[in-house]
Amino acid sequence: MEKSKKGIDLDSLLKKEWSYTTGAVLIALLATVLVLVVGKSWGVTGVFPFWGGVILEKIGVNADSWSIFNGKLSKFVFFKKFANITNVGIIIGAFIASLLAASFKIKMIKSFRQVVAAVIGGTLMGIGATLAMGCNIGGLFSGISALSLHGWVYLVFIFLGAIVGSSILKKWFM
Amino acid sequence: MSETTQTKIKRTGRRREAVKPEERKKKQLIQRIIGVIAVILVIFMAIFAQGINQKGAFIVLIGVGFGYVLQRSRFCLTAAIRDPFLTGGTELTKALIILLAVSSFLYMGINMAKFGLGLETLNLKLAAGYIKPVGLHTAIGAFLFGIGAVIAGGCASGTLMRIGEGFTQQWIAIIFFVTGTIIGKFLMPIVKKSSVLYTGKAIFLPSLFGGWLGAVIVHFGLLFALYIAADKWSRRKQK
Amino acid sequence: MEKILDCLGEACPIPLVKAQKALEEMATGDILIVGIDHSCAMKNLPDWAREAGHNVEIDEIGEGEWDVVIEKS
Repeated sequence: MEKSKKGIDLDSLLKKEWSYTTGAVLIALLATVLVLVVGKSWGVTGVFPFWGGVILEKIGVNADSWSIFNGKLSKFVFFKKFANITNVGIIIGAFIASLLAASFKIKMIKSFRQVVAAVIGGTLMGIGATLAMGCNIGGLFSGISALSLHGWVYLVFIFLGAIVGSSILKKWFM
Repeated sequence: MSETTQTKIKRTGRRREAVKPEERKKKQLIQRIIGVIAVILVIFMAIFAQGINQKGAFIVLIGVGFGYVLQRSRFCLTAAIRDPFLTGGTELTKALIILLAVSSFLYMGINMAKFGLGLETLNLKLAAGYIKPVGLHTAIGAFLFGIGAVIAGGCASGTLMRIGEGFTQQWIAIIFFVTGTIIGKFLMPIVKKSSVLYTGKAIFLPSLFGGWLGAVIVHFGLLFALYIAADKWSRRKQK
Repeated sequence: MEKILDCLGEACPIPLVKAQKALEEMATGDILIVGIDHSCAMKNLPDWAREAGHNVEIDEIGEGEWDVVIEKS
């Protein structure tokens, strides 16, 4: 174990991984604080279309005129929608966690297979999350937490999807 | 973890050139310093956010907290749904169940206070959590999401976490994830026109099971049963 | 026998699945060294190996890089 001169166990404080149970309880607590503070539950993908629209606008596409945005893009203020902040926060939090543990490393894409997996997987997640009205957080987590039937349906079918995904993964992406 | 390893397992040689301990200590210190700088920047970001959003500072800290906890506990929701079928492991599945049990318990407390023990002031739109329409579209959407998350190697939270950890594959995943949601948004009006796919009905378990007690028994009973099942599953799969 | 599995840059489940396959074909006492740089894998791989009864050591060789050494038991 690496101990600093002051005798503080840096490894335990910043590096040693926490148990899954610890993670589960802390996430539940954070989500509860969030819902108490903001009045809305944690969700990730609700703001994704707007991120896409804003970027499209920046590269010259008039996405704001599209039916799905209908002028909302011009009113987009990053810090006004909490999910924008929590999404970027997750990236930053994970970044900080790895840095403080001195285990940050940039992992470059290794094969074209990984690109294909990301393209297909990402697109399926995006469409799926929109149809189900939530991703694994906004749909599954926030749905089940609310004692909503749609959360339970989500739980059943996301597992079924995982079964299919696993065989596809084994067959094409290993 | 020490740099000069005295392993109990005898190995014939090091797999890679061992980096000198002094160089490693230097690299680690640099990472930690950048980490501390990032923490300070987060504090500035929180102050800045507070200027635009009344609750900005809290949201920044909670968001960063999510990312920190997810990474630190290696919490991968995708693995929770995938591992039982890919590797036979259910540790994360059980952790997911614990997460859902704790959060639904806490949310329920909030909602009981909001709606009353007899659901006198029930208003789904004011609930903690999301009570959304349930229908075939939910099943299809969740199914597609499950496939996609396993193939992409990360779900919504997992993709964000991995971007923060330095995985470049997830940059591609998120671009197409965003694209997918835009495609989805174009599809939704069409889906909503089909009464087979979409009914627009949101169903709150206490309303379905005659009050809080019925819902509690079913909901937490199912979670408990799933936990036991997950535990038995991994024992069965032990090679 | 000592076998080396380079899983640097591989996504989450791949190091574990490859390790499971490799160990199946190895004899008791053989050693498998899996090189990984995925934080998920540095937990799920040793966890699985220990539960399966093998001897496991984790060697951190760099920032965000580990060698998971598994002795088949």
